[in-house]
Amino acid sequence: MSAVTIQGMRRESLWSKAFYKFRRDRTGMVSLAFVVLYMLIALGVTLGWWASNWSDVTGGKWEAASAVHWFGTNLIGQDIFARAIYSTKTAFEVGLVVAIIATGVGAVLGAISGFFSGTWIDEILLWVMGVLDSIPFYLFVGAIVFAMQDNPYAMHVAMISTFWTSVSRLVRGEVIKLRGLEYVEAAHAIGVPEYTIIFRHILPNTMHILLVQATIAFVAAIKTEVILSFLGLGVKDGMSWGLMIAESTQEVLAGFFNNFLAASVLLFGLVMAFNMFADALQDALDPRKVS
Amino acid sequence: MNDMPETPLLRVRDLIIEFATENGVVRAADKISFYVHENETIRLVGESGCGKTVTGLSILGLIPSPPGRIAGGSMKFMGRELVGLKDREMREIRGRDISMIFQEPMTALNPVFTIGNQMADVLMRHRGLTQRQARTAAIEMLAKVSIPVPGKRIDEYPHQLSGGMRQRVMIAMALSCDPKLLVADEPTTALDVTTQAQVLEQISKLQAEFRMSVVLITHDLGVVAETCRRAIVMYCGRIVENAAIDDLFTSPRHPYTKGLLDSIPRIRRHRLAELPIIPGRVPDLLHLPCGCRFAERCSRADALCAEQAPALVPAEKTSNLFACHHPVPEMPVERLS
Amino acid sequence: MNAQNHATLLDVRNLEKYFPVRGGIFQRVIAQVRAVDDVSFSIEKGRTLGLVGESGCGKSTLGRAVLRLHEPTGGRILVDGWDITGLRRNQLDEYRRRMQIIFQDPFASLSPRRTVAQIVREPLDVHRIGTPNERERRIIDLLADVGMGAEVRDRYPHEFSGGQRQRIGIARALALDPDFIVADEPVSALDVSVQSQVLNLIAGLKKKRGIAFLFISHDLAVIQHVSDEIGVMYLGRIVEQASVEDLYTEPKHPYTQALMSAIPVPDPAGKRSRIVLEGDVPSPMNPPGGCPFHTRCPQAEEICRRTAPLGVNIGSTENPHYVSCHLHA
Repeated sequence: MSAVTIQGMRRESLWSKAFYKFRRDRTGMVSLAFVVLYMLIALGVTLGWWASNWSDVTGGKWEAASAVHWFGTNLIGQDIFARAIYSTKTAFEVGLVVAIIATGVGAVLGAISGFFSGTWIDEILLWVMGVLDSIPFYLFVGAIVFAMQDNPYAMHVAMISTFWTSVSRLVRGEVIKLRGLEYVEAAHAIGVPEYTIIFRHILPNTMHILLVQATIAFVAAIKTEVILSFLGLGVKDGMSWGLMIAESTQEVLAGFFNNFLAASVLLFGLVMAFNMFADALQDALDPRKVS
Repeated sequence: MNDMPETPLLRVRDLIIEFATENGVVRAADKISFYVHENETIRLVGESGCGKTVTGLSILGLIPSPPGRIAGGSMKFMGRELVGLKDREMREIRGRDISMIFQEPMTALNPVFTIGNQMADVLMRHRGLTQRQARTAAIEMLAKVSIPVPGKRIDEYPHQLSGGMRQRVMIAMALSCDPKLLVADEPTTALDVTTQAQVLEQISKLQAEFRMSVVLITHDLGVVAETCRRAIVMYCGRIVENAAIDDLFTSPRHPYTKGLLDSIPRIRRHRLAELPIIPGRVPDLLHLPCGCRFAERCSRADALCAEQAPALVPAEKTSNLFACHHPVPEMPVERLS
Repeated sequence: MNAQNHATLLDVRNLEKYFPVRGGIFQRVIAQVRAVDDVSFSIEKGRTLGLVGESGCGKSTLGRAVLRLHEPTGGRILVDGWDITGLRRNQLDEYRRRMQIIFQDPFASLSPRRTVAQIVREPLDVHRIGTPNERERRIIDLLADVGMGAEVRDRYPHEFSGGQRQRIGIARALALDPDFIVADEPVSALDVSVQSQVLNLIAGLKKKRGIAFLFISHDLAVIQHVSDEIGVMYLGRIVEQASVEDLYTEPKHPYTQALMSAIPVPDPAGKRSRIVLEGDVPSPMNPPGGCPFHTRCPQAEEICRRTAPLGVNIGSTENPHYVSCHLHA
């Protein structure tokens, strides 16, 4: 028997490999910087460092941009800039909650569905996914919001209960593929119980899908919130870019664009940066792409 | 056998092929030189990572261009330099003068087109035939590769055929334009033993009939013995031995060749307690040792081997060319010809 | 088939594994793929049965069915005389400990996001063997047994070569100290120069630990080195079974003879007349009537088309040699 030596092999987990690849992607790094910037802004708002005066009337009606009010004031006299900054917190809060929970639920249900594909468990889950997907989204959201009346989380619940299906389908497909691989058979042969196999062996190997899906859900949640708030079904207490845009419909007719611009520019910035970050992330995690 | 006075069909000199990976540049082929004459079959033999497939792909200009590239050397096909040819010019040569068949017939054939479609495509493109002419020519080719009932089979899809048949279809496609050179990259590795035999016989038969040259790339030395005249053994991107097949087997000079021949599991009259092995494993192409790349696994190596890479030198009595400072002693055998 | 009375570890009787093929709008069962069709054999403690055949003959399915990774659709499996065919999951666990498997593909047989230590230790964790400290020490011992040092424990599978991964897979299979291992083409995906290393390793472990093996391969040369008895499979059935010496010196079944002659020999002087079989392997969904091999057999006769031959022992009781062929009926 010959002894096998490892000649100077650099220790590399799959994550560090992806990390190094990502670091060399300039677009990815720049967009990540933007995302981090937004995140810090949101953090500051949550901690009360800035924009806590977003609802205070501090100026006159429709003041132009000035040193005091960087974006001017809205109809009532509130500082537009403060409101826009405050909305960053709302955006992140909605985005993170929906992304994490929807991806989590989708991953678990998708894995179970895929692992037991061909049995009644899978049939039922697929049926549920199909039903949820066939209900028109805004009708569904409206119904939930109405049912939950003034609960500020109605919007989150509505989004989570529809976003999880697309994650679930992707995970299911991947799990069906992974299930036939030999290391899963090996686990069966050793006697590992089935649920352990799903969560210890299979699900971690879908991480690359989950990460990308989470970023997609994040962006979708923010954009959906904008539309929902615009329709009056979204944020109830607090401020968001959607509400600002809703307010600004009247103002724009009167020729005052600041409100609209502030919200749109910030929204566009975050969505764009996050999308580019998600693309770069997907590239970095793809084992076949060599930079 | 290889000292024919005429110009070789394919002359490869000091070919260097590099790949850019995230951990640095890898030299998959490091100054490869060999000739292929007309109507000759040679084999590139070696294990995974030795550079044989890459060399074969480079003849057809099929190295994926990032991340790989031909970084040096020359390849002259019928006097014409292939390195540096534009893609358009290369496309004219591919399929018509030089053809290739691959290891996995299922993935090399397009599953959504019938065989007839795919073959006709090649014929119409390179020989300018009409659709009807192409179909007739395709049926003829299928018959040549011993596919039964070719008139019916031509309208079938790849998944309806067995592995051996798909491989034969691929051979038929490759030969349909009567190329001068066929590069076959592990054509039988994915097939069963009994089918391997069929396909290899097919290739031999066609080689004689079409008077073409074949570069057969394989890791299976058993396959080599049955079907070829000359074999080139590669290790870690370099050629370590180049010999006529009889000489390679009876008198291997390079320790790697000898080790490989000894360690192949084969049916023996008496079972051995332990199979002979080559200790250690193939070095990482990113961390190649200086000097001879086989030195760290070689029982005959010394300080010289670690410092200086040996060059290919001819043997005295046999046809072998080998690259070793301390070769295995020559053993020319009385050959019954 | 082997009617040994003592020291028989594994006894497989009339094993069947059929896969249903569904078709039509209502997905009714329209055909059966007879992957394993009435297979019987037995393996004694410490002995190796080599199972050889080409792709599609059912040998991999058979290996998995014996471990109940595929549930058999017929027949019985006895371990030390106990019928484990119908056991439920928790009862089966005790036998799972004694029967393990090594896979063909070194790249797919190790979980990519777990470290070597986690992979090798998992069997111990699942069956709660020893204390965590003892398990740690056992991993190091197991890795040493397969020729790898302790420093590999925190690395991931993708950092290793095919041969090394195969060693890790073997270490995992040894963790529970099994009496029986199914080795499904363990060296087929490895480079030639590494094959011998791993074969030597397996042969050495077999001798040292007295493990019985069901060694599955398509390569007759590989199988010769490790096996005591050999069974030749074709379309789900064992067509010939004999001791390794007898099979190689006197193969009786025409398929065995064709297989032997088809092996490429690394010796140009050793060319012999090759038996080239006509046609392709029939689909196991639609096996031919009579003898399954008659469509390709160079010596087929009328009776071969009509009736399937029975297995007959043309050797002795101590050294049986079974053939399923009308030529030797």
